[in-house]
Amino acid sequence: MNARLTSILALALVASSLFLVNAQYQARRLFIELERAQAQKRQLEIEWEQLRVEQSQLGQSGRIEASARRDLNMSAVTPARTQYLTLGAK
Amino acid sequence: MSSGQRVAAAKGMPFANSPVLTAKLSAGRSRFVLFVMFAALLALAGRAIWLQGMSKDFLQKQGESRYVRTLELPATRGKIMDRNGHVLASSLPVKAVWAIPEDVKDAPEAKLLELAKLLGMSKRDLDKKLDSDKGFVYLKRQVENDVADAVIKLGIDGIQTRKEYKRYYPEGAAMAHVVGFTNVEDVGQESMELAHQKILAGVAGNRRVIKDRLGHIVEDVRAIREPQDGKDLTLSLDSKIQHIAFTQLKEAVEAHKAKAAGIVVLDIKTGEVLALANLPTYNPNDRRALTGAQLRNRVLTDTFEPGSVMKPFTVALALERGFVKPETHIQTAPGKMTIGTATIGDSHAHGVLTVEQVIEKSSNIGTAKMALQMQPQEMWEMFTSVGFGQQPKIGFPGAVAGRVRPYASWRPIEQATMSYGHGISASLLQVAQSYMIFARNGDTVPLSFLKTSAKPIGQRVISEKTARAMRKMMEMAAGPGGTAPKAQVPGYRVAGKTGTAHKLAGGKYVNKYIASFVGFAPVSDPRLIIAVMVDEPSNGKHFGGDVAAPVFATVTANALRALNVAPDTTKTNIVIPAQGLKESI
Repeated sequence: MNARLTSILALALVASSLFLVNAQYQARRLFIELERAQAQKRQLEIEWEQLRVEQSQLGQSGRIEASARRDLNMSAVTPARTQYLTLGAK
Repeated sequence: MSSGQRVAAAKGMPFANSPVLTAKLSAGRSRFVLFVMFAALLALAGRAIWLQGMSKDFLQKQGESRYVRTLELPATRGKIMDRNGHVLASSLPVKAVWAIPEDVKDAPEAKLLELAKLLGMSKRDLDKKLDSDKGFVYLKRQVENDVADAVIKLGIDGIQTRKEYKRYYPEGAAMAHVVGFTNVEDVGQESMELAHQKILAGVAGNRRVIKDRLGHIVEDVRAIREPQDGKDLTLSLDSKIQHIAFTQLKEAVEAHKAKAAGIVVLDIKTGEVLALANLPTYNPNDRRALTGAQLRNRVLTDTFEPGSVMKPFTVALALERGFVKPETHIQTAPGKMTIGTATIGDSHAHGVLTVEQVIEKSSNIGTAKMALQMQPQEMWEMFTSVGFGQQPKIGFPGAVAGRVRPYASWRPIEQATMSYGHGISASLLQVAQSYMIFARNGDTVPLSFLKTSAKPIGQRVISEKTARAMRKMMEMAAGPGGTAPKAQVPGYRVAGKTGTAHKLAGGKYVNKYIASFVGFAPVSDPRLIIAVMVDEPSNGKHFGGDVAAPVFATVTANALRALNVAPDTTKTNIVIPAQGLKESI
C-alpha cells in the first residue's frame, strides 16, 4: 500500500517536472514570439513615420503649385474673375 | 524475484555462477579501493559545498554577465508640425557605422575600397580614420539604413553599426528659420528646436533581459523602464501661407538685388504667427556650407530704424490726446523745418494737409509738428506699450528688444525725428506686432509661435474710435493717392504704411536703405498683419512703396484666398499712378 503510494507520487513528480520543463520552454518560445511582434510593431511605426515625412515632402505647397502651373497649365483665381455667392442675398 | 532467473545475456550463464564472484581478493586491497572511493566522494561533496555555499555570489554574477543584458531603449524625439498637421520635422532611425581599428587591420584591400565607396568617402579618408589607436572610431554617422545593411553585408571584421536618429525637414529652406535644426545627437540647436528642447526630447528607458545563445531575448529580469517619447509640437505656422510669403520674398530679393529680406504674417484675432521667412536662408537637411548670414533670423534678431512706419503711432497719440482731429489742417509748407540747429524736411513741399493726408502722403513735417506738442514721456509710453524697446515674450531664442531711449534725455529735435521713426530701432516682428492696436480695435495681444485655441487677452492702448480713424488713414496711404499704391489688392481693402530708412554705418547715415511695409487686410474686418522688410535694395528702387509694398500685395491676395476670406470690395481694377508719390525719408 505504502509502496504503491510512493510509486504513484514518484510518477506524479516526474510528470510534473516534465510539465514544468515544457511550460518553461513554451513560455520562452512565446516570449520570443512576443518580442518579434513588438519589433515588428516598432518597425511599422517607423515606416508610418517615414511615410508621413514623405507625404509632407510630396505635399509641399511649392511642389503642388509648380506641377499645377507647369504640368496642368492652371493659374490662380483672382477676385476679378470669381463669382461670389452669398447665402440669402439677392 | 530470485537471482537464479538473472541471466547474462551474452553467454547464457546464470549470474550466481559467474567466475568473477569466486575470485578471491586480498582484504588489504579491497579496503584500499573502498577508501579511495570514499575519499573521492568526500572530495566531490566538498567541492559542491564550496561552489554552492562559499562562491555562490561570485558565480551568479559571472553567469549573469554572460546571459543577462541591459538594453537601452532610446526615446524618439517629438515631431514638429504646422497648424494643419503637416510634418515640418521628424526623427527617423538611421545607422552610425563604427569600427574597432585593431580588428580591421587584416581586412582585404578590395573590401575596404568597397566600404569607402558605400560610405561616400575616399579610400584615403577611410584609411586615415582607421589609422588610430583608439578602440572605437565612427566611420560615418547618420547613414541611411539600406547603406548600413550593405556595409554589414560586406562582412569586414571589426566594422559594426549602431542605431541612431536623423532629423528630416521636409519643408527645407522655407521653414528653416522658425523650425531650426538639431545636431548629430538629435539635440535642438536653433529656433523652435532649441526653445522647446525639453518637450521634444524624450527620456530613454532600459530593460534587463536574458538572452539565449542565438541572441534572442528569452526573459525580462525586471520590469521594463519604458522610454518616454518626446511630445509633438504644433506650431502656429501655416505651411501654405509660409510658402506664399517665402516665394514672394525670394522674387523681391532677386528683382531688387537686395542683400537680405524678411517677412512676417500675423493672425490678428489670435496673435499667432502664421508665417515668418528670411532671406538668405539655408537647407536644414544639408548644413555643410552654413554661414552666419544664412543662419540669421532677421525678423527677430536684426533691428533697424523703422522710419515712416512709426508715424501712425504719433498721429494716434495726437488723436487720443485731442490735439487734433482727422480733418484738422496742418501747414507743412515750405517742406522744411528747423528745430534748434538741425533741419528736417519732406521730399517735396505739400502745403496745407489734413491729419489724414499727413499719413497718406507720409509727411515728416506734419508728424513732427504734432509730436512737438506732446510730452516726451507720453510718446515714450505710447512706443513702449505697443512693444518697442521691449523684448517680445514669445519664447523664441535670440529675439531682441530694439531700442527706445529713455524720454528724460530726449532733445526736441530727437523727439521730432523719433515721431517719424528715426533714432529708434526695432525688429520687424516688433513692428508687425505694434500694428495690432490699429488692426484690432485699439488693443494689443501677445504673439505666439504655438497653435493656440484660447482667445488671447488684449491690452487696450488706444480707443476704438482712434483705431478706426487710423485704419482709414492707412487705407488712404495704401491707395492711389498715397505712398504705397502698389500695396493695393484686387477684391480686398488693405491698409498700411511704408517705411524707408537710411542705414547707419559707423554712426553715420549712408546711401543704403531698408525698405519696409507694414499693413493689414481686409480693412472691414482685419485678419492678417503682414510686415515686409527688404535690406539694401540696389536695383534702382529703394522706397518702401516700390520694393516692399508689392510683396505685401501679392502675399495678402494669396494668403487671404488660402484662408478662404471673402472679399470685402468689388473693386478689382487697381489704379497705380504713373508718377508715384515719393516718400520722405
